[in-house]
Amino acid sequence: MKILIVEDETGLRESIEEYFTEAGNICETASTYSAALGKITLYRYDCILLDITLPGGNGINLLKKLKEDGHDDGVLIISAKNSLDDRLEGLDIGADDYLVKPFHLSELKARVSAIIRRKNYNGSNLLVFNEITIDLQAKEVKVDNTPVKFTRKEFALLLYFIANKGKVVSKNAIAEHLWGDSIDMANNFDFIYSHIKNIRKKLVEAGAADYIQAAYGMGYKFAAP
Amino acid sequence: MKLLTRYNRVNLVTTIVVMLITGAIYYQAISYILTSQKDKDLVVEEREIFDYVKLNHRLPQTFESNDQQIIFSSADPGSVQRVFVDTLYFEKDEGKRKHNGSGEYESGRGLISSVSVGDRYYKILIIVSKVETEYLIRIIFFITAGVILLLLVVLVATNRLILGRLWQPFYTIMSELRLFNIADTHEVPDLNTSIDEFKELNGAVSDMTAKARSDYYRLKAFTENAAHELLTPIAVINSKLDTLIQTENFSPQQSKLLNDLYSAASRLNRLNQSLLLLVKIENRLLPDKQDINLRELIDEMLAQFEEIFHDKNLTITHSIADKHITASRYLIEILLSNLISNAVRHNRQGGVIDIKLTSYDLTVKNTGENAALPDDKIFTRFHKSSSSEGSGLGLTISREICESFGFSLEYGFEAGKHTFTVNFN
Repeated sequence: MKILIVEDETGLRESIEEYFTEAGNICETASTYSAALGKITLYRYDCILLDITLPGGNGINLLKKLKEDGHDDGVLIISAKNSLDDRLEGLDIGADDYLVKPFHLSELKARVSAIIRRKNYNGSNLLVFNEITIDLQAKEVKVDNTPVKFTRKEFALLLYFIANKGKVVSKNAIAEHLWGDSIDMANNFDFIYSHIKNIRKKLVEAGAADYIQAAYGMGYKFAAP
Repeated sequence: MKLLTRYNRVNLVTTIVVMLITGAIYYQAISYILTSQKDKDLVVEEREIFDYVKLNHRLPQTFESNDQQIIFSSADPGSVQRVFVDTLYFEKDEGKRKHNGSGEYESGRGLISSVSVGDRYYKILIIVSKVETEYLIRIIFFITAGVILLLLVVLVATNRLILGRLWQPFYTIMSELRLFNIADTHEVPDLNTSIDEFKELNGAVSDMTAKARSDYYRLKAFTENAAHELLTPIAVINSKLDTLIQTENFSPQQSKLLNDLYSAASRLNRLNQSLLLLVKIENRLLPDKQDINLRELIDEMLAQFEEIFHDKNLTITHSIADKHITASRYLIEILLSNLISNAVRHNRQGGVIDIKLTSYDLTVKNTGENAALPDDKIFTRFHKSSSSEGSGLGLTISREICESFGFSLEYGFEAGKHTFTVNFN
């Protein structure tokens, strides 16, 4: 995957770059409007992470330029403005998704993976991870052709893990992904554990490897054992 | 007491007192003038008697006229002093004058004097009736009283009519002030008056409201900007934490610290989002309204929170009718989520949540601390129980959301259950 990160805040840009850089991924960055404009005219990307407020111009104009030139790079707007108007405007012009700051890197990764999956849609819409095959359309999981029944949340969680494979995903990020902002009503995230336990059990029983590992009580990691 | 009433009262009392004093002075002056006129008449009469005695060397014959009596009586030489006196005048009845001495007394003015005829010494008493004077004074009294009465009537009438109208600008300003709402944009209009005081008052009021408003907007803009500026650093903290936990090998102590940092960052974020949301609702920057099926939304939410209810061992009972409202889905989701969150957060282990939706209201009841919450405080910003992990803005936001759609949000406590009711009408 080739990803362009357009973000003027150095700390955030570096974190995103580091998180996305892995085998098979190429990350480029731009911190100003003109730098970003230069890159999107010259190169093509699988996904562009686009901040709206940039030194030298508005990110929305970059999106417009992309669409005018007929490029179909995936675009995910990351903005500090949580206003529905901005969101609608961005999506109207042709952004694929809209994520409001602050966010968890794992959430960003999951969204970007989803965008890229949609871009590369080849009719089957299957996501394959070793022996696990996920039909995104039918929301079905198979391990070596054995169907495994997952609940809605378990399915979402599995997708989230696979998008963030090899990374430690914090319990906070998982909770916010599955339950949204209202998760703060919970005293603790113990109930996440029961979901994790179920997923592990179902996968292992169907003959898959035990991919989910607890990480120091902070979160979980989906990786080959 | 109204200023007008107070003014009228003072005005009336002063007027009456002044009129009474004037009346008294009138009375004194007129009765003095009339008495001295009578005294002159008496002196003329006395001189006539003296002239008569000098000429004829005897007393004149006394006769009675309608308004004058002269009485001679002998006295010791030198015993009589000449003096004017107020006395009574005996008015005989006209018809019966010749038969008997009946009649009536009137007030009179008398002159006591003396005359010597030959070697005899006489006391003279001349009395004139003052009855005309009394009439005059009475007429003056009635005129004065009439004038006082007329003045009162005129004063009251003018006050009613003119002062009422004069004060009209004042009442206009008052009603403007009463309607004043710092959050809306309605300005105090210019007043159509020629009275300087009211012009000044109106100017001061409109300056004050404009200043209050601009201060309020500045404060609001500050809140909004501050919250916006906080977003980026929070985003950086969050992303750095996410990056940090990728670096393997943490001791249990380090992971505990990281967990605490995560939840603090997440609370900070939620607090900030709440502030931004409040500003947005107050600015009426509401997302598009649409038809919402509340029943579906609540069902979805209950399914969503299933694990959380389960985690606290809560029993959920609900009776949910079909109810559609027109509102912003985004805000209604926040409202429902806030109400249910509160019911969970302030519940006890193994407690009960009771959700009831009818066509006119939605109630969320929950068990919890067995004491009513302070009704007046729970909806204010940053009021929260010491044990609460919330932002302290949830109920404020909930009420603002309700008000922005014309609903009301009320709190009640009965039978050990805390109840929040959203009234749709």
